[in-house]
Amino acid sequence: MSASGNWRIAPQPGEVIDRSQKVNFTWNGSPASGYAGDTIVSALMASGVRVMSRSFKYHRPRGVITATFFDPNCSFQVGQEPNVRGAHRMVRNGDDVNAQNAWPSLNFDIRAANQVVGRFLGPGFYYKTFIKPQKLWPAYQKVLSTFAPGGAPPAIGTPQEIFDKRFVHPDVLVAGGGPAGMAAAIEAARTGAKVILVEEEYELGGHLRYGGTESLATLAALRAEVASFDNIEVLTDSVVSGRYDDNWVGVVQRSGIWAKERMIKARVGTLVVAAGLIERPYVFEGNDLPGVMLATAALRLIGLHAVKPGTSAVVFTANSTGDEAIERLRAAGVSIARVLDARKGENVTRALGRGQVSGVEAGDGSKTSADLLITATGWTAPTSLLNMAGDRPVWNAAGARFTPSELFHSSVMAAGGIVGDGTTAELIAHGRAVGIEAASRARGEAAKPVAALIPDAHPALFQSTTVGFLDLSEDVKNKDIVSAAKEGYDSSELAKRFTTSAMGPSQGKLEMVNTMAVLAEATGRDFQSTGTTVWRPPYAPISLGALAGRVFEPDRVSPMQLWHEAHGAKDMVAAQWIRPEHYGNPQAEALNVRSNVGIIDLTPLGKLDLHGPDIVKLLNLAYTNTWDNLAVGSVRYGVMCAEDGVVMDDGVTGRLGDDHYLMTTTSSGAGNVWDWLEMWLQTVHREWQVTITPVTTALVSINVAGPNSRELLSRITDIDLDPAVFGYMKVRQGTVAGVADCIVWRIGFTGELSYEIHVPASYGLHVWETLLEVGKDLGVAPFGIEAQRILRLEKGHFIVGQDTDGLTQAYEAGLGGLVKLAKEDFSGKPELVWQEALAGNYSHLVAVETVDPLLVPAEASQIVENGNEIVGRITSSRMSPTLKRSVCLAHVPASLSTPGSRLTIVLENGDRAAAIVREDLAFVDPEGVRLRG
Amino acid sequence: MLVIDCPYCGPRNSTEFRHAGEAGKSRDVANSTPAEWRRYLYEFNNPLGWVREHWFHSSGCRRYISSERHTGNNEVRWVVPFGTPAPSTTSDKETGA
Amino acid sequence: MALGNASTSRTPTASVGGARKGSRPARYSAFDIFRRGVTHADWPRSFNEHELKKSYDVVIIGAGVHGLACAYYLAKNHGITNVAVIEKAYMGGGGSGRNTAIIRSNYLTPEGVRFYDRSVKLYEDLAVDLNYNVMFSQRGHLTLAHNDASLRTMHWRAEVNKLQGINSSVIDAKEVGKIVPYLDVTDHARYPILGALYHPPGGIIRHDAVNWGYARAAGHLGVEIHQQTEVLGIETAGGKVTGVRTSRGNISAPIVVNCTAGWASTICDMVDVKMPLVTHPLQAAVTEPVKVFLPAVIVSGSLHVYVSQTDRGELVFGASVDPYPSYSLRGSLEFTEGLATHILELIPSIGSLKLLRQWAGLCDMTPDYSPIMGITPVEGFLVDVGWGTYGFKAGPVSGEQMAQLVATGRTPELIAAFDLARFADGRLVGEKGAASVGH
Repeated sequence: MSASGNWRIAPQPGEVIDRSQKVNFTWNGSPASGYAGDTIVSALMASGVRVMSRSFKYHRPRGVITATFFDPNCSFQVGQEPNVRGAHRMVRNGDDVNAQNAWPSLNFDIRAANQVVGRFLGPGFYYKTFIKPQKLWPAYQKVLSTFAPGGAPPAIGTPQEIFDKRFVHPDVLVAGGGPAGMAAAIEAARTGAKVILVEEEYELGGHLRYGGTESLATLAALRAEVASFDNIEVLTDSVVSGRYDDNWVGVVQRSGIWAKERMIKARVGTLVVAAGLIERPYVFEGNDLPGVMLATAALRLIGLHAVKPGTSAVVFTANSTGDEAIERLRAAGVSIARVLDARKGENVTRALGRGQVSGVEAGDGSKTSADLLITATGWTAPTSLLNMAGDRPVWNAAGARFTPSELFHSSVMAAGGIVGDGTTAELIAHGRAVGIEAASRARGEAAKPVAALIPDAHPALFQSTTVGFLDLSEDVKNKDIVSAAKEGYDSSELAKRFTTSAMGPSQGKLEMVNTMAVLAEATGRDFQSTGTTVWRPPYAPISLGALAGRVFEPDRVSPMQLWHEAHGAKDMVAAQWIRPEHYGNPQAEALNVRSNVGIIDLTPLGKLDLHGPDIVKLLNLAYTNTWDNLAVGSVRYGVMCAEDGVVMDDGVTGRLGDDHYLMTTTSSGAGNVWDWLEMWLQTVHREWQVTITPVTTALVSINVAGPNSRELLSRITDIDLDPAVFGYMKVRQGTVAGVADCIVWRIGFTGELSYEIHVPASYGLHVWETLLEVGKDLGVAPFGIEAQRILRLEKGHFIVGQDTDGLTQAYEAGLGGLVKLAKEDFSGKPELVWQEALAGNYSHLVAVETVDPLLVPAEASQIVENGNEIVGRITSSRMSPTLKRSVCLAHVPASLSTPGSRLTIVLENGDRAAAIVREDLAFVDPEGVRLRG
Repeated sequence: MLVIDCPYCGPRNSTEFRHAGEAGKSRDVANSTPAEWRRYLYEFNNPLGWVREHWFHSSGCRRYISSERHTGNNEVRWVVPFGTPAPSTTSDKETGA
Repeated sequence: MALGNASTSRTPTASVGGARKGSRPARYSAFDIFRRGVTHADWPRSFNEHELKKSYDVVIIGAGVHGLACAYYLAKNHGITNVAVIEKAYMGGGGSGRNTAIIRSNYLTPEGVRFYDRSVKLYEDLAVDLNYNVMFSQRGHLTLAHNDASLRTMHWRAEVNKLQGINSSVIDAKEVGKIVPYLDVTDHARYPILGALYHPPGGIIRHDAVNWGYARAAGHLGVEIHQQTEVLGIETAGGKVTGVRTSRGNISAPIVVNCTAGWASTICDMVDVKMPLVTHPLQAAVTEPVKVFLPAVIVSGSLHVYVSQTDRGELVFGASVDPYPSYSLRGSLEFTEGLATHILELIPSIGSLKLLRQWAGLCDMTPDYSPIMGITPVEGFLVDVGWGTYGFKAGPVSGEQMAQLVATGRTPELIAAFDLARFADGRLVGEKGAASVGH
């Protein structure tokens, strides 16, 4: 059905289109146009387009049903964006709009053949077929997946659009800008409350916008009143997506801002839900034909967009909205072929026609020619947000709809049509009363009830006597629910899941109540016991972009990072830190440390400054070793175990003064260790006086390592480096490169003579560059993390988390010498007491030499016995540039831990390699001569 | 999102806090048998209902605090500094572990 | 009938007339679908309703995949059919209907790998075994590594897997990009993809179909499934189980199997068995459908997200459990925000896809990311609990092994490592590295 004719009618008093501004776009590749203010759907309808898409399962032609955001078959591909709600999205110049779900074209869809075989495609069809032969299922499945509905995902490389977030703290947030919502906002604002009024459509007004002149006059007055309050912020084209614990409310703002969408997060005093009512479709044969639509859809098309939805209409009405539609259709030039009044027992049984309504069969069997069938058969209260606040709606039999039970939290209130019916004045009065009370509750005053509106009596209309579509986005028919119930899927949850009714994009807004009704009738149960289904958030679909917002993922870098990058550093990501892995040749960097001197930026090292008289007690508790006798000017290495004895962190702590220590931790463990120390101080030993200050980023840490390190450092410091006074494991404070208050300690992770300098961060780069400048003749060069890994492995030093895992207790990590069981208490002590009692009968961390010296088994290579029985693994491995052979650490069982034990390692390609357990963990300088020089 | 009314900072989003476990665990390093110690390490009451627990205001004042919360609907009945008595309306016990 | 109709004539959906007892399910076949399509003959009931009997040989608490599978294998493998499965809501309504239905066996420990591999094998044959298409799609499973530590863990898993005969290997970023072109495998991502553990037999399944298939087949063999029946208490005498009190009456039974998730502690409290469990909500979400573009299951432990695309075109997401213990199923906004942030880091072009629905299930977390299966200090009270975030994967094998335990009275080798006593004995299972985001 290509565009044909002009269905635009004379200007309407409430129309939202701007006839002076034409909008040109394409529809399935052909030029099309509308006016500014048109939705995609209203522009298409004005040009005579009736088929908007093909349906999911049967590929039936589908048109406009609700003319609202959640119109089930009016989703389009607009450029790269799939599933655009065409009855909501305003059409823009240049939009490339395409129908979804149609192949090869909207008018000729090959998969419409599914309609012919539809009788076999009942509920649970897939569960019952393609079972045998099993081998063919993947092939079937490949074909089935090509039937997936919806638009195409944006192409790879589609640039990320900008999304944003905002935080607000209103006293009252009103969801829904119809008469009751506007009234609630006004009265809340009048008390001085800070109010946000959220409306899903582009303008305030709700159903008043497409009502008669009286409605428009009331609306104008309400809008003026809203506008008169500075303390009401109006958000249009925005939707409240969910209400979460403690009135944390999400609002998606879709337009009117610089970003494509904005997620507003509101901590709300009182949330007022004034969502109005959703008109419910009726189920009968042909109810999905283009030309069958709700009364409110016709009112919207005519009133807002001045579009005549057809030429000749049958109207099936059960309420005043249907009656109003008759008048408005007539006024728009649509002839009323017949009115069927449900209140008089009249019914619709069939919409006739192929691809478009051509006639209507009434309950009495008579047929009427028409191209339009308007139904007005009842309402659904969208209680979603109330459900999220704890409500369980109850079935109101007289009004034939669910209404809120008021079980929801007192910080949430409902106003207007969602509660019950009334004249416009009554809805507004209810809104005003709720607004006053909402503001009062937001001030912290005790909750008082507000008299509820009562739903008007309404015929209970869900389905006719024929078979029709229940869920238009999932292509589920009423008879499918009956079949499901007959097969035993007879509770609401099972029936829904089995048929997928209410599981699609409209999420039950249109089809939930009808589904319940059909199921209740099929099982002979009443409505209430059939149950309502939980409406799950979000209320309306939210783009992933809006949820993500702009990404604020912090990068942590040392002040020297730009220097590193300018000097060829290859970066690595280590959690939040970005740091140099190497500067081009890690093997050469490592060798330079062994032969000359290297400097490495260790700023990410966790650093905690400790002050107070009880630090020793804390250290004794946190570390497994003893800290009683650490002299001022000395440092000590320690290991921390969790209460289960598992190795948690390690590092060096130095005593800078009587009651002043500097603790270092692993880079990744810094945060945890800090929290953990606070735990001991605040919850177990609250009498201890220790203050912990994190100084990780306040200090730049540079390790100067290698035989020339003393000479290098001596050129720029006033600290006496004479080994007789500044020996191994000592700490001194002084000036380095003119920077006062540097802390320098002698330790040796690399196995070389080395000094770790902690410099006030802003001088880090200066010290770094000075070291490189003054040490040129000494062969100084920077080295990265990879070279450090090689060096430490050559020295047999383990890394927490690499050479240990989530269950490695201290003795297994070869740390028995650092565990002082004589201490009264330390974290993990009981477990370590029991492990020690096993007398070595646990796995061990050992150094391993492959028999083939040039073979480097990959880290995580498994060690096996008796074929494929796993007994251990290589935890670290590298080619040693110093020894020109591979060096490894491994976990092995006690039986294979004695020096000289022969291991079988499984290589990545499945080959086996032999290796020997070494005497000592250190490959290079086991005696520690270089370190202590 | 849950609000936790920090006794030091006032009401704050729960994302500022780290959950620090059920209250009432007793740590006896000196006398625990292996079975007792592992009960201390691993066992929890894990009730559906009111539970006394600790939180660490890691992105705030960095204090440990104690609360009573209903695990069915996450309602927080009270929050006090760690180690101070629970409000007398609900309990006469210390909240400290 | 409570429903009105505008017309008084017969509707097409007249009452189905309640349960017909003892009717047997039809054998599903292409022929039968054709025949019923032509003749409009109804399908018989798949599930029957029963009066609650006074006594059963075995009572299973929880009609999720674990309970239903246990019942099925009791009947099928051991001929024990006097079995009641007691379910407080509806079958498959807990974790079994809320998980993201990812199946894999690439675990870290040999005991984990052996166990889950058995589950994958059972899943592969399940459609034929149950005569119910469970739509197992072995499309491949990628666990991404974004730093060298996780790459090392992937290597570790791959090596252990290979030695157990599991198809699992580490591939580099380029190969990852070939399998899933939509993934950003460039090195300028904030957390660049360095490689992945690739597990071709891993995939997704239709979780409801598994639950219903087991229920239908178990019912066929004589097992009774009692939905809307809540366990109120468990009776014991002399340290032995004697029966169960339910909302529909009391039952005597010498063996009670706790197959619940989320409620395991509450059930165990009924017999004073303390459990090392903490219950956390686990949230999931689904987008609107788009044409299929994601050919494999993607998991990123570092970014706490996993995603797959169903044949219906929806992206199904999950994350790690909520940060504090709770039994609340309400879900949170911050979960969806984190999810979206991380998924767009992996697949930057899909910002306009829309999240349609979020939900939550309950997970009973154990200290070592492994379940608790087998006997307890109360004789006759068996547990199959503590399934954390990985219970659905293990449904078939757990049912099979628990059934064997019930039938033989001996703990099968395959689940021996998962006994309750391991916590007191200090013999924890080392799955932590593989299961921090266990999908």
